Amino acid sequence: MSENTGSIPRNPSLMMAFIRQIWNSLKLPLLAILTAFVLGAILILITSGSLTTLIQAYEGMIRGAIFKQRGFSESLIATIPYILLSLAVAVGFKSGLFNIGAEGQFYIGAIGAAYAGVAFNGLPAIVLLPLSLLVGAIGGAIWAGIAGLLKAKTGAHEVITTMMMNYISFRLAEFLVSGPLRDPAAGLIQTRSVSLQAELWTLFSIPERLQDPLNALAVAILMAVLVSLLARWFVRSSKDARFTRLSTRRLVYLGSGLVAGVIFFFLLPAFTKIWWPFNDLADRMHIGLFLALGMAVLVWWFMQHTTIGFELRTVGANPNAAKYAGINITRNILVAMGISGGLAGLAGTIEVLGVSSCRCLPLFFSSGYGWDSIGIALLARNDPFGIIASSFLWGAMRNGSDLMELSSGVSKYIISLIQALVLLFVAAPVVVRWIYRLKGDKPTSATPLTRGWGG
Amino acid sequence: MTLALQATGITKRFPGVLANDHVDFDLEKGEIHALLGENGAGKSTLMNILYGLYQPDEGEIRINGQPIQIASPHDAIGKGVGMVHQHFMLVPPLTVTENIMLGQESVTSGTAFLNRLALLDRRTVANRIQTLSQAYNLAIEPEAVIQDLTVGAQQRVEIIKALYRNADILILDEPTAVLTPQEADELFEIMRNLVKQGKSIIFITHKLREVFAVADRISVMRAGHMVGTVRPADATRELLAEMMVGRKVILQIDKSDAHPGNVVLMVDGLRVEDDRRHMVVDGVSLEVRAGEILGIAGVQGNGQTELAEGLTGLRRCMGGKVNILGVDTTNASPRQVIEAGTSHVPEDRHKHGLVLSFPVRENTVLCTYYRSPFARGIELNYPAIEEYSQDLVETFDVRTPGIMTSVGTLSGGNQQKVIIGRELSRPIKLLIASQPTRGLDVGSIEFIHHRIVEARDKGTAVLLISAELDEIMSLSDRIAVMYKGHILETVEAKTATREQLGLMMAGITPEGTHV
Repeated sequence: MSENTGSIPRNPSLMMAFIRQIWNSLKLPLLAILTAFVLGAILILITSGSLTTLIQAYEGMIRGAIFKQRGFSESLIATIPYILLSLAVAVGFKSGLFNIGAEGQFYIGAIGAAYAGVAFNGLPAIVLLPLSLLVGAIGGAIWAGIAGLLKAKTGAHEVITTMMMNYISFRLAEFLVSGPLRDPAAGLIQTRSVSLQAELWTLFSIPERLQDPLNALAVAILMAVLVSLLARWFVRSSKDARFTRLSTRRLVYLGSGLVAGVIFFFLLPAFTKIWWPFNDLADRMHIGLFLALGMAVLVWWFMQHTTIGFELRTVGANPNAAKYAGINITRNILVAMGISGGLAGLAGTIEVLGVSSCRCLPLFFSSGYGWDSIGIALLARNDPFGIIASSFLWGAMRNGSDLMELSSGVSKYIISLIQALVLLFVAAPVVVRWIYRLKGDKPTSATPLTRGWGG
Repeated sequence: MTLALQATGITKRFPGVLANDHVDFDLEKGEIHALLGENGAGKSTLMNILYGLYQPDEGEIRINGQPIQIASPHDAIGKGVGMVHQHFMLVPPLTVTENIMLGQESVTSGTAFLNRLALLDRRTVANRIQTLSQAYNLAIEPEAVIQDLTVGAQQRVEIIKALYRNADILILDEPTAVLTPQEADELFEIMRNLVKQGKSIIFITHKLREVFAVADRISVMRAGHMVGTVRPADATRELLAEMMVGRKVILQIDKSDAHPGNVVLMVDGLRVEDDRRHMVVDGVSLEVRAGEILGIAGVQGNGQTELAEGLTGLRRCMGGKVNILGVDTTNASPRQVIEAGTSHVPEDRHKHGLVLSFPVRENTVLCTYYRSPFARGIELNYPAIEEYSQDLVETFDVRTPGIMTSVGTLSGGNQQKVIIGRELSRPIKLLIASQPTRGLDVGSIEFIHHRIVEARDKGTAVLLISAELDEIMSLSDRIAVMYKGHILETVEAKTATREQLGLMMAGITPEGTHV
């Protein structure tokens, strides 16, 4: 989406323009996706020569991605790292940096979590889980920050440095997993499993986890903060005269948070014990999803609603104007790379703490998530909410491809082809406009996705 | 009466724009016909059609009475239409002769096949250049290398290039934009000479003064239409301005005498290098007082750009001192200079002045987004920003569909109004305005000039840097002339004359020539 969606305008005519703008920014990606699937269908038809195969393939993909038992869950599980990694790439893009090293920072995050989750064994979940997440995120931030520092101090282009640092991180991970961090007891080459307290809770385990009062307290505090923020948003957008006084407003924020906290602390553990919808033990769905969605909202707010985000976007869109406006470019390169790497690192921690079956870092940990996420950010035009949707599309396709192959015999790599076509059409919107006879935007209103190599 | 060129009912559409709407234009043999109009009025489109770069959607072109099609610039040259572009099409390291031969190389002899292998026949070409330059009084040395020539001489090469290709009709596109007043006068002399010898000239410009100096007829375009054609004797500057803009324009700035106060900006021996590490500001000293406008006159490229960037922290100073209201700001960061009470209207509005992909809203707070009330802590206060932007858009008459419109989609004049509005809407002590009206239409220029004088009257010290001598003369209280990185002299604006300033802009002072 373009830069114009910073805040939702309050004035009705602006509101209409806002809606039109959303439609305008959705139109092309949606048509690109449609076209890619149509072309993919033609391809399957040509190679297999049978319509039945085509139907089986797409039916299998959809069933595998959504309707199969735990299909939807597995799609969401794949969506989580996609969201975080493409947010990482998008923050870089928006700030004028091409962080191609998300995959490497993802590894560093995974190492950090695998280390912290073992090393601080014995701490309660309320401390250990956030700590493990944080160690991984900070690791990713520092890893990317090195590339930022090199750019700021020596002008080394971040595409080269982050790319090279990817390989360093892969080899570093191999070394640590097979050497210092290796679990000698395990048959496979892998690190020790993290403490149970460091694990990301599966949805199935939530009622049980909440029986620990410390965990219930953590959840209650989170909910209190959330409700208080919602109240703040509501109060600020309301024109009600009762809310004009600052002390009243503060009372509302505090009160709503407190009430929510108390209710959740006392009632949630008991309630979930009586009724809980997620009762499939094999369902791996975990709370990392809320973390990823939360980060998407946070990144949106940070980029659009804070002075730091404003600086980052200005540096990204026009570094000369940023310098003119008195913005410190060096500092912003570091901030952007730090946030970007931190998000990528966080994605890595989630794979270790919530997804890997050993709850550890195995030697063969190749994901490819980091590479895909560059494309997802492109499809979403760096918009956090677009990223959620695009990530789900990618996650669902990734997850649905197995059943597609199984039920139709069409190679699962056809999804890579369809994904590549989507990106091709997004990158070359002229083709889509021509196919659907859409009128072109004026060239000046086209927002460049990134200045890429120009940085 | 014979018409060298006649265009009737020329219509050209671009997606969403009607660039030329049934435009009629004719050129008599042996006349200078000036074409006036603001940016976007359709002058360039019309000329590009006559020069074969565009094909008209409708209409007819006749040369010497014969209806013709002009398929390409090459075709145009073949039919006797030559164009001198605003940006010269010359290869700097080659000689005059080589440049003129380029694309039309003569060879000594040989068959068509051997032509590709034969030697270049420089001598014949040089002789013809010699003949042409004598015939039309265009002083040019055929063996001179282009990069050693002055801008005025390079322009003469361009004219000879067209004459060499037997052009009878010359189109000169904004030829005076890069010249000193004296060089412009020389060009006018050349133009009169050319028409005397039977050539016909279309002279494109937006400077009103020039059309009176040289044109036989003046046509004015506005918004794709031909508004009308007048003879200089029947026109006044006010009339032409009104034809261009479509409403009455006050050209003369009404300003009272300055009441200079304390010194706001003091610059002492400033030295700044350009990107190629040449010392292009070499020991500039000046001071600007509260409530006065100091104009820096000079031909482009004499260090004015680097001076402004050095003062505002965008470029490192290699020596000297800058002092704003007693605070030493030598090599201070742009933010520190802003905080010291400085506003800067940058020379290049697209490079420095605006973030084109951002909406108007963000651009209006580009330099103040971190201050109250626009920010509360680290959070931006959009309602306050929106209110401020809305206000600014109204006060400074920015024509935009709304504050959420990308600034890149606005016209140049409106973009510049956003910058001027932003820079003048906060309490400031010093305004550094570089080329504040470059490329703008008469209406916007008028508006911006009034705002700058208004700021002066409120006690702001103004440093005005402009390559437009008219702008410098009508706004400034004192004028400093910059030449090759030095301030040659500072004079009172009231007593300064165009001739005196023009000579100084060419490096000539009463004491002698500076090189």
